[in-house]
Amino acid sequence: MDEEPERAKRWEGGYERTWEVLKEDESGSLKATVEDILFQAKRKRVFESHGQVRLGMMRHLFVIIDSSRSMEDHDLKPNRLTSTLKVTCAASVNCTILSQIGIITTKNKRAEKLTDLAGNPKKHIAALKKAVDSTCVGEPSLYNSLNLAMQTLKHMPAHTSKEILVVFSSLTTCDPANIYELIKTLNGLKIRVSVIGLSAEVRVCTILTRETGGSYNVILDESHFKELLILHVKPPPASSSSECSLIRMGFPQHAIASMSDQDAKPSFSMSHLDSAGEPELTLGGYYCPQCRAKYTELPVECKVCGLTLVSAPHLARSFHHLFPLEAFQETPLEEYEAERFCEACQGELKDKSVFTCLACKKVFCVECDLFIHDTLHCCPGCMQTDRMS
Amino acid sequence: FRLNIEGLLVYFPYDYIYPEQYSYMLELKRTLDAKGHGVLEMPSGTGKTISLLSLIVAYQKVVEELRKLMDYYAKQTGVKNDFLALALSSRKNLCIHPEVSSLRFGKEVDGKCHSLTASYIRAQHHSNPSQPVCQFFEEFDAVGRQVPIPPGIYNLDDLKDFGRRKGWCPYFLARYAILHANIVVYSYHYLLDPKIADLVSKELAKKSVVVFDEAHNIDNVCIDSMSVNITRRTLDRCQTNVETLQNTISRIKETDAAKLREEYRRLVEGLKEANVARETDIYLSNPVLPDEILQEAVPGSIRTAEHFVGFIKRFLEYLKARLRIHHVVQESAPQFLKDIYEKVCIDRKPLRFCAERLRSLLRTLEIADIADFSAITLISHFATLVSTYSKGFTIIIEPFEDRTPTIANPVLHFSCMDPSIAIKPVFGRFQSVIITSGTLSPLDIYPRILDFRPVTMASFTMTLARTCLCPLIVGRGNDQVAMTSKFETREDFAVIRNYGNLLLEMSAIVPDGIVAFFTSYIYMENIVASWYEQGILENIQRNKLIFIETQDAAETSMALEKYQEACENGRGAILLSVARGKVSEGIDFVHHFGRAVIMFGVPYVYTQSRILKARLEYLRDQFQIRENDFLTFDAMRHAAQCVGRAIRGKTDYGLMIFADKRYARADKRGKLPRWIQEHLTDGSLNLTIDETVQLSKHFLRQMAQPFRREDQLGLSLLTLEQLQSEDMLQKIAQIAQQA
Repeated sequence: MDEEPERAKRWEGGYERTWEVLKEDESGSLKATVEDILFQAKRKRVFESHGQVRLGMMRHLFVIIDSSRSMEDHDLKPNRLTSTLKVTCAASVNCTILSQIGIITTKNKRAEKLTDLAGNPKKHIAALKKAVDSTCVGEPSLYNSLNLAMQTLKHMPAHTSKEILVVFSSLTTCDPANIYELIKTLNGLKIRVSVIGLSAEVRVCTILTRETGGSYNVILDESHFKELLILHVKPPPASSSSECSLIRMGFPQHAIASMSDQDAKPSFSMSHLDSAGEPELTLGGYYCPQCRAKYTELPVECKVCGLTLVSAPHLARSFHHLFPLEAFQETPLEEYEAERFCEACQGELKDKSVFTCLACKKVFCVECDLFIHDTLHCCPGCMQTDRMS
Repeated sequence: FRLNIEGLLVYFPYDYIYPEQYSYMLELKRTLDAKGHGVLEMPSGTGKTISLLSLIVAYQKVVEELRKLMDYYAKQTGVKNDFLALALSSRKNLCIHPEVSSLRFGKEVDGKCHSLTASYIRAQHHSNPSQPVCQFFEEFDAVGRQVPIPPGIYNLDDLKDFGRRKGWCPYFLARYAILHANIVVYSYHYLLDPKIADLVSKELAKKSVVVFDEAHNIDNVCIDSMSVNITRRTLDRCQTNVETLQNTISRIKETDAAKLREEYRRLVEGLKEANVARETDIYLSNPVLPDEILQEAVPGSIRTAEHFVGFIKRFLEYLKARLRIHHVVQESAPQFLKDIYEKVCIDRKPLRFCAERLRSLLRTLEIADIADFSAITLISHFATLVSTYSKGFTIIIEPFEDRTPTIANPVLHFSCMDPSIAIKPVFGRFQSVIITSGTLSPLDIYPRILDFRPVTMASFTMTLARTCLCPLIVGRGNDQVAMTSKFETREDFAVIRNYGNLLLEMSAIVPDGIVAFFTSYIYMENIVASWYEQGILENIQRNKLIFIETQDAAETSMALEKYQEACENGRGAILLSVARGKVSEGIDFVHHFGRAVIMFGVPYVYTQSRILKARLEYLRDQFQIRENDFLTFDAMRHAAQCVGRAIRGKTDYGLMIFADKRYARADKRGKLPRWIQEHLTDGSLNLTIDETVQLSKHFLRQMAQPFRREDQLGLSLLTLEQLQSEDMLQKIAQIAQQA
């Protein structure tokens, strides 16, 4: 009944053809529309951040990293796990003393705490680097990992914003109990759960994020992944019900002592008390202004008196969240008369709209606009004019 | 809001309208204007039903009365204006009698109800109050008919509530209220099945507009309603029926001979009353009871009760003898009649009156529990049908089932081959008949097999802000072996393995629910067994749980429930089911319940069946439809129906995977509905499993991006202003494709 359909060198066409189809964008096909929507979302994000809202600057964030079998998929290079860890490292550098993060991995139906809540990115990065070599097996358990995070988070004071970020690669979860009960509990504890999906939209995550007020995104590719993760670096608006309280902090001076100095006595750092590494004798360090305990690194919470020890630059890094750069004015390219060069990258303005800084009237392209608002947090044009004057 | 469709003011209950809805209403209006019949195809989930109702309501009634259509949405909310719409169902769904409604089977409920409400029971109740009757029916009969049901929209629960409040029987109330209702919603069978249509639908006004929604299967419904299957069990039960009849007759003869005489007199006068009714065009004509019969009196040979029972007995013995064979017999109705005349001297004429005569007898004998008499009723219908229609029917006697040739299980199929016989009175009687569904392609075949001339035939596409459906045709495995369920290769090891790999790969990348359809239960069993041996099932189960549809309804609904639970809590699940099964027709897999549908093979009907062969032959001779065309059409409409389960609206999205290389051929592809075909590009034909996985992954990621209503506005969702703009109207004109 069926004759053989003609198969003219299918093996040659194959994969390329699929890309062609997706890149076509006249007649409003797939990519164009989705990308347009994405672009709109990008812009929206910039605008959204400029409301006068109270931000939850004190954050306790658990990052749950799925390390199940599906993480070995090669659609992110070299595989999902390595890529995820790399991106997470990059993002965790941005974490400050005000926001503490902890890392949990889940595989083989179990959850495991990689690092505890801490403000110092170094430790996390080290742990993440080590985790690259671990094998990915079995199914993840959303329930177990959320539960583990919740056990710690529920003891955190009410004035902090409690968050969980799940990087979820698998499409299935193996749970010991009804996850909807857990979602209710999380909601009751005001823990916000956000999910970044690596493969597709999973129903339970949609519900989870909707109920707890988090966001749910699915990555398109690696750069989109990075973008989404960076989004989570920005502190979320605080819920109106969270209380206010005074937070005591110490700003210890770094005491430097040279070997030649007679009075100098080498001493152990308090932070080595619980670390497995070789304790080292050092000369100088930061001394807690309250109890004189010594630490080699900041930021840290004093082991003796519980005071948070920071240096001023640490605090300053959170500053831009509170006073973000004003959004630039968007004008269509046709209406823009002057020379078509971006002030920042010096490239030609080709996109359909250009962006003008309201303060210095300099013009930028889309990419630079995003870069300025997302990364730099200050307008290069304004800086230049400041220096001139 | 209000919109103006070629001069008709239509109230539409939403703030936004899809362009295709506007276009649909336009076509519908034209059909009604022309007082003709129409065939309209529009994808599911695009608001077909609401458009339909909005326009028809507007058309039927004057505008003032519709001010509140805004609140009137899909029969759910009751609104006070003088507008009556109601849903009608069987006694089983509507009964509120505490004892009767607790019965589980529809037949039992009907029988029990009948035993409480039949006229003679009630007459007995008058003389003997201990005789139980249904108080709800009594109440309704006493007052219900005078007081009209207040206008509003009633669904089944509303009717029941209303019934409980008033103490009236909702079933009879609904049947009575049909006469006044503006919109009646009920199952096809009430109109098509001659046995029921006579009771329920005969008084519908001639100007009514009849809409068959979800009508992709209408020809099969027509055929089923006119076909009779007789097994040995039926005959055995019929035998007991006859004995009961005989006993009752002799008993009555002793006690109340006058009653039988009265009946005899009535039969002599003939069925004149029915004839008068038909001439005045009040009733929908009953195809079981053709016009000629009505003009004649019941023939003498079966007029008295004893003679009739004797007649039935003889007929029964003849049928029994016919079933005692060892080879397959196929004959036409005239052949059958000739044979029966030769063997047992039964004439054609008394046979034709069989159904009518039995009904009269049952009435006279005051047998309450009609349910018990279904067997003999069936036989009498058969007798009437076989002697009435010489064309369009065939009789096939099979000594055993094809699949189990060793077990004797003789069946007599009296099979209707021409769906137009059952639906003819409907087309003839009503001014406009609309046939509509999500999957009617190719449109021109329906008018041909149902034998009518539509004034409009149109197929609508979905306007989408994003491409939310992704049909893919997978033709080969990664090893380049063609994937097909073609009969010659379906046992092929490589094909089965490739199907397994496809499901395995998809289970790893599709979130939540996957529904997979096979062409038949047997094929599914074979494949699943062989997957189990190859260890594929085990691998799949690491990704998702597996549920299987079986022929047992209770088991299947259990599986479905668990399937939905597994989709809900993130474990993910696969439902293996069968095209043409319960799941493929009635169950929707919205959003996460069906992110992908995989169609393993082309769901051709079992072509070796003799009934089908006879029907194909008939189609070829009568309607010039080639066998292959019809088979492909039938297979493709079921395939479309299956894959259409996943997309139930514009915010929904899903993969549609056709896993058979034959789908890529133009004759198959061209028979898919236009809204699917549109998205089927050259790039998605004859893919390998790997390519499918790549495309699917990409699609799922794209679809997971946030999607808000604003993105749809102006593209696939219109406000009134947008609708009225000139270029939009032009765009809309392209949506409808005239077939």
